[in-house]
Amino acid sequence: MKIKHLLVSAVIVVAGIVVIITLIPSEEKRVKRQFAFLSEWVSKSPEENAFTMLQKMKNIGTLFDERCEMKIPDQSLSGSYTRQEVSTYAGSARSYVSQLDLKFYDLRIIFPEKEIAKVDVTARITGRSTAGEQMDETRELECVLRKLDKQWLFSQIEVIEVLKK
Amino acid sequence: MTIHNRIRQFFFPSLTRRFLIRVFLVGLFAYLFFGHLCIPFTIQGISMEPTYHNRGVNFCWRVPYLFSQPKRFDVVAIRLAGSRVMLLKRVVASEGDQVEFREGRLLVDGEELEEPYVRYPCSWNLSPRRVEKDCVYVVGDNRNMPIENHHFGQTSKRRIIGVPLW
Repeated sequence: MKIKHLLVSAVIVVAGIVVIITLIPSEEKRVKRQFAFLSEWVSKSPEENAFTMLQKMKNIGTLFDERCEMKIPDQSLSGSYTRQEVSTYAGSARSYVSQLDLKFYDLRIIFPEKEIAKVDVTARITGRSTAGEQMDETRELECVLRKLDKQWLFSQIEVIEVLKK
Repeated sequence: MTIHNRIRQFFFPSLTRRFLIRVFLVGLFAYLFFGHLCIPFTIQGISMEPTYHNRGVNFCWRVPYLFSQPKRFDVVAIRLAGSRVMLLKRVVASEGDQVEFREGRLLVDGEELEEPYVRYPCSWNLSPRRVEKDCVYVVGDNRNMPIENHHFGQTSKRRIIGVPLW
């Protein structure tokens, strides 16, 4: 009987902790949410219509800082890009694929300064081009996000060279 | 205890202290073993064909490189930001070695490397380059694709976290 009581108490305590953790969004969670949005809005299903596409393109822009530094040699992206340019580039890149799936793994978030988040993450893009070619690319990214008006915005994205030819 | 009771006890055990301790220990062992020592993974991609096939299941055994360094011809798992996604490649050269591809043949320090695991034709050309300190040079076994489509090169030894179990 005692054990049952103990067990029930433990379950209640654990459930309480889980509820508190879930309900109180930490800064880390807010940063993770931006990655989830980026993944959702960059991804494309074969049935996507023009309205959804425009909406997603517009949404992608809202995740970025006024200017974002990019170092993505694979995509010939290097330099500082405005929110609008990022949005347009994403739209143009998405037009070459019929299906696209972007997923992030192993997010390691640190806050080196107040309102700055540095994220080390693995990004995996899979999909199919409009020509029918299969795509499967995995890269490690180092991202810097800046907090502006309670929003974490991407201000730097750099591909880490894991294998150097 | 009758058989009926034994079966019942097996599927619906009494929540005794002993049983709870056992459950906790099994859970802890499984977490440590499969989460950190022997990480299960699915192979996605064809860069290690025919040695390792697309969609094959394997385990990343982390123990060997806790005590030794990766050697030439070892198949290794390379971590990216973490261990949820890893690259599976073969070590072909160590630090200080000069690596070069000439008409699909791999040359290390000017000498052709015998690679029985490479079964598909290859016509890669890559100018000589030296492997940096604390790095190894890794390539996939499947080189039957344009060189720019194959992800290979030198990587830090610190990124190598284990070997496939089979």
